[in-house]
Amino acid sequence: MTGAHRGGRVRVAVTGIGVRSPAGNTPDEVFATLLAARSTAAVVPGLAERGMAVRFACLVPFFDTDAHIGRREARQIDRPTALVLCAAADAVADAALTPVAEPERAGVQIGTGVGGLASMEATTRDHGERPSAMPVHTVPRTMANSAACRIAMRHGFHGECTTYATACASGTTAIGEAARRIRHGELDVALAGGVDAPVTPVIMGGFHRLRALSVRNEAPERASRPFDADRDGFVMGEGAAVLVLERWDRARARGARIHGEIAGYAATCDAFHIVAPRPDGEPASRCMRLALADAGCAPADIGHINAHGTSTLLNDRSEARAIARCFDGHSPPVTAMKGVTGHLVGGSGALEAALALLCADRGLVPPVANLRSSPEAGMVDLVVGAPRAVPPAPVLSNSFGFGGQNSCLVLAPAPAGDRPATTRALR
Amino acid sequence: MADREQLALVLRTAVADVLGTDIDEVDETTDLITDYGVDSLELMEIGARLERNLDLRIEIEDLTRTRTVGEAVDLLAARSAGRA
Repeated sequence: MTGAHRGGRVRVAVTGIGVRSPAGNTPDEVFATLLAARSTAAVVPGLAERGMAVRFACLVPFFDTDAHIGRREARQIDRPTALVLCAAADAVADAALTPVAEPERAGVQIGTGVGGLASMEATTRDHGERPSAMPVHTVPRTMANSAACRIAMRHGFHGECTTYATACASGTTAIGEAARRIRHGELDVALAGGVDAPVTPVIMGGFHRLRALSVRNEAPERASRPFDADRDGFVMGEGAAVLVLERWDRARARGARIHGEIAGYAATCDAFHIVAPRPDGEPASRCMRLALADAGCAPADIGHINAHGTSTLLNDRSEARAIARCFDGHSPPVTAMKGVTGHLVGGSGALEAALALLCADRGLVPPVANLRSSPEAGMVDLVVGAPRAVPPAPVLSNSFGFGGQNSCLVLAPAPAGDRPATTRALR
Repeated sequence: MADREQLALVLRTAVADVLGTDIDEVDETTDLITDYGVDSLELMEIGARLERNLDLRIEIEDLTRTRTVGEAVDLLAARSAGRA
């Protein structure tokens, strides 16, 4: 397996990971929080004071931006960009990437669900009455591609820089598309990931109007409960995750530590309803099958599934049906991280891909937080109560977004010879 | 009418805020282009703050023509006097 991709393609290595998430600001911290199935949802004072219908969310714990962002830049950017710049800097450091020998072969691929909408909401609030007095940097701060382009500027990457908007699947789409760019020979290196920071009164209010959010205000820590019979909607989160992707042979040649591989990717669209998933999950199931085929994997090769698992009845039920279809009733162990992290919207797919890869590599599948009993238990093998040990094997990571957007990644742990010493010690 | 010292303080505060530095780092010899590589958006933001705080109309082109903070204070003083 060291020589070639299972599907006979150029291989794409993951050599760096950086995160800013409710469950922690390093991958190991997030991994520990996931294994403990500890929910990070809590009351948000700004929402509570305004008497919002939903008064809690999963926020990123305090992190020091000074190390990565100067005061001058800080006042020109918004929170999602700050989150993703810090995550990207960590990923680059983790990959020991700099300096990049050929910056024109290095690109940035970032997904975001709502981009600068939150800061435009604040601009409207503060300057809506007198738009002529708004800060000069309002447009560069709020434009959808701001985060990706700030990363490119910071690291001097002159290759393709693209921002993807596939709603809640955006982070997964960005990683998959970055892998395609590398496979197709357009890039050698990519910073790929996702970000959102949508915990604001108007954005939360909008999701609440769809009845998409949990209203369990009296017990936020029990609100996000993917696949559980007692779920009542998803919990909004915020955060960013960025991966360094590289052509495998390049990563090997420079002696990089390889976390694993983006082995397969596919995307489909329900073309059914603007927010509700197709109940039978057929287009999502086809997306999984295509991602497996892209990776050269049979269903039996998959060690576990990181489900999108939002904790909404409609998503979880159709996803369970989709998994049952794809795996013909033989479901691998299924986990869903949103019970711990909440829903980072565009950040989710990237955070989950990174952590799913670590879980696959370490052979431990975290339990789904707050899951007691599931009406979907007959269709999928949900990990309940305690982490499940699995042999190191590729993991399927699902993301499904409003608009009927389906994106699936297959990530494979590095073969034993390419595995970092620290990871081996953990096994 | 604000005196020169007050004008300098307002300008130095705006510059320090926009360029993310301390007011003590900005004096009348500070050259925004050579010392800070100020870009046009930042200059416009500095100008907007001056207009707001001094209730003056300042053309960005005029501000661009000044080399140092001291020269910009001179410009503001002239404008301020002209208005009075």
